[in-house]
Amino acid sequence: MEIAVLLFLSSGLFLGWSLGANDAANVFGTAVGSRMIRFGTAALICGVFVVLGAVFGGAGAAHGLGKLGAVNALPGAFMVALSAALTVYWMTKAGLPVSTTQAIVGAIIGWNLFSGSITDTATVARISATWVACPILGAVFAAVIYVAIAKLAVIGKLHMLRLDLYTRAGLVLAGAFGSYSLGANNIGNVMGVFVESSPFSDIDLGGVYTLTSVQQLFLLGALAIAVGVFTYSKRVMMTVGNSVMPLNPVAAWAVVLAHSLVLFLFSSTELEHALVRAGWPAIPLIPVSSSQAVIGGVIGIGLLKGIRGVRQIRWGVLGNVASGWVTTPIISALVCFVMLFVLQNVFKQQVYQEVHYVLSPPVMARLQEQGAPVANLAQDADTDTVGGRAFRRLIREHGAFDDAQEALALEVAEVYETHITPRGLKELDRSRLTKEQAAALEPLSGQRYNHRWQLYEALTAQGDAWKKRPAGTIHKVYNARLGEALGYIYRHFRAGE
Amino acid sequence: MAPKRLMPFGRTKAIERQIDEFLDIVSEAGIVFEQGVVLFVDRPDDEACQQKVAQLKDLEHRGDHLRMGIETDLYTNMLIPESRGDVLSLLDALDDLTDGFEADFVSFIIEQPEIPDDVKADFKDLVSAVVKSVEHTVTASRAFFRDPGSVRDHVHKIGFYESDADRVAIRIKRHVFGSGLPLERKIHLRDWVNAIDSIADDAEDVGDRLSIYAIKRSL
Repeated sequence: MEIAVLLFLSSGLFLGWSLGANDAANVFGTAVGSRMIRFGTAALICGVFVVLGAVFGGAGAAHGLGKLGAVNALPGAFMVALSAALTVYWMTKAGLPVSTTQAIVGAIIGWNLFSGSITDTATVARISATWVACPILGAVFAAVIYVAIAKLAVIGKLHMLRLDLYTRAGLVLAGAFGSYSLGANNIGNVMGVFVESSPFSDIDLGGVYTLTSVQQLFLLGALAIAVGVFTYSKRVMMTVGNSVMPLNPVAAWAVVLAHSLVLFLFSSTELEHALVRAGWPAIPLIPVSSSQAVIGGVIGIGLLKGIRGVRQIRWGVLGNVASGWVTTPIISALVCFVMLFVLQNVFKQQVYQEVHYVLSPPVMARLQEQGAPVANLAQDADTDTVGGRAFRRLIREHGAFDDAQEALALEVAEVYETHITPRGLKELDRSRLTKEQAAALEPLSGQRYNHRWQLYEALTAQGDAWKKRPAGTIHKVYNARLGEALGYIYRHFRAGE
Repeated sequence: MAPKRLMPFGRTKAIERQIDEFLDIVSEAGIVFEQGVVLFVDRPDDEACQQKVAQLKDLEHRGDHLRMGIETDLYTNMLIPESRGDVLSLLDALDDLTDGFEADFVSFIIEQPEIPDDVKADFKDLVSAVVKSVEHTVTASRAFFRDPGSVRDHVHKIGFYESDADRVAIRIKRHVFGSGLPLERKIHLRDWVNAIDSIADDAEDVGDRLSIYAIKRSL
């Protein structure tokens, strides 16, 4: 691996370290703060389960940020991670509670602004919605769990020592689960921006298991998180537990469990599949803030105890937390924008790959076919436009597109050259495709395509293996898997890669 | 031989058992004390009184030993961090009750106070009320460990018997000081009434503490 690649990844590792130092405190803070679990035990459990969660459960939420902005150059990804890490680090140093998720979301938006890419407002809205849903869910879960445990303890007349033992065991289990969920959910924050430009290739472990390039990337990030846990989280853990409100061990257990459940809800592909199969609406897989889940949980316990609990909540601290939730993404976006400028103009690094849009005859035909009013765009035919925002401006000036047609035009006109080479076919990782999908690729050998949709059309012309099923929850899982396979094919056969 | 290391479940059960055993000792000490005082009041020279002294000494020794063991276990294994301070204070206070029974009865046998016939029944009533207050303290302590919500009921009974003991003590003192006994005997008897009654006061103090501990423990 090139030194430069390691250098660029280092910012992701720094971000991982910051996340380990901060967010691990959310998982075990209440347990260590209430002296129920020793720091060494907590750090060990946290480190091991963060790594497991990141490597084996990390795929789900990582795509959530991919949709927000496809950071397509390694130096850009470096700066996005570095800006987020610096924001987290500075704010932690300043004693302000901070959310790593918000820092990274802000940094990606900063990159989008700098690179002229379009920020998907729907994704931003969805992520922002989780910033409201996450503390509320945390509060509801914590309150329900606490009431259930308290009732059981009263009915079972558990001896204080027995309750202590069960609470301790519960804290260890919930903490392990929380660490797994943290790894699975937040690895997307740490390494998500590097997924598009992963420097690793798949490793076959003796034919038993294949460690994908993304898993290797996530393993590296998880190790950085684990180092953060061991080196810097103790102080934070000791303060997090009691910063908003003093908690008894059972309440600490309820908060940790609630936090873990919230993170799990937003990161588990298995749960999503199960919900969809049962015909229920799926939960968006998005990295959510563990700080918000924990704070929500603590408030839930406080409100549950009525006026006495409300009085115990330190509202000043809570105000700081809430202000951090607003300022973190803004600061992170600004830092990222400024530093990208410096990196590009002072250090002469390519911080983003230009995305070109062209209204070529096939594109115009395709748009017309889909019912878009392209007549006014004839004067712009074959104009090469650089950047999503510039292209959107162009079609807004001349076309009379509605939002859906605008999104369609952005998708159809984007230049993404692919070349199905015999070598590419030979090196194809067939484990990521079905047999039929792989077979459908063979006849396309030697073909070149200017747009993704052209390759997709060629693939669907070969049979049903690549055809998307009608939109709807029933086919969501199938279509998501198909989308992953397509993404792999696009990247694998990209011309010049 | 090195002490056997127990797994968490075994360790917890062992400490639970030790705490129960300790509470049994406090309760037993009260019963033995009552039996001893009744024996002494009726037949001060009876050999059985000496046996009661030996019994109380043994109980006091076992209580001390158990308390120290529990305290060491709680500290070394970092158990119940939130309630540890309360539990240790509670055990100390309960141990003081056992010590009080033992110390009082030993002094009783040494000092041999002469109890007039007309207050003997009151003396027995006083001891009975004191012992009952301690028994309810033990019950309240057991409830504190298993069912903090019911501690209040038991603490109420401790208060009731403590007041009862106070009433009987005042009655005895009035009677003694209204009699024609020599002053030194009156003072000696008053001191004894106060010494026995103070055990109920101590029990009530434990009850007060238990009420607070139970509120802190309530989920």
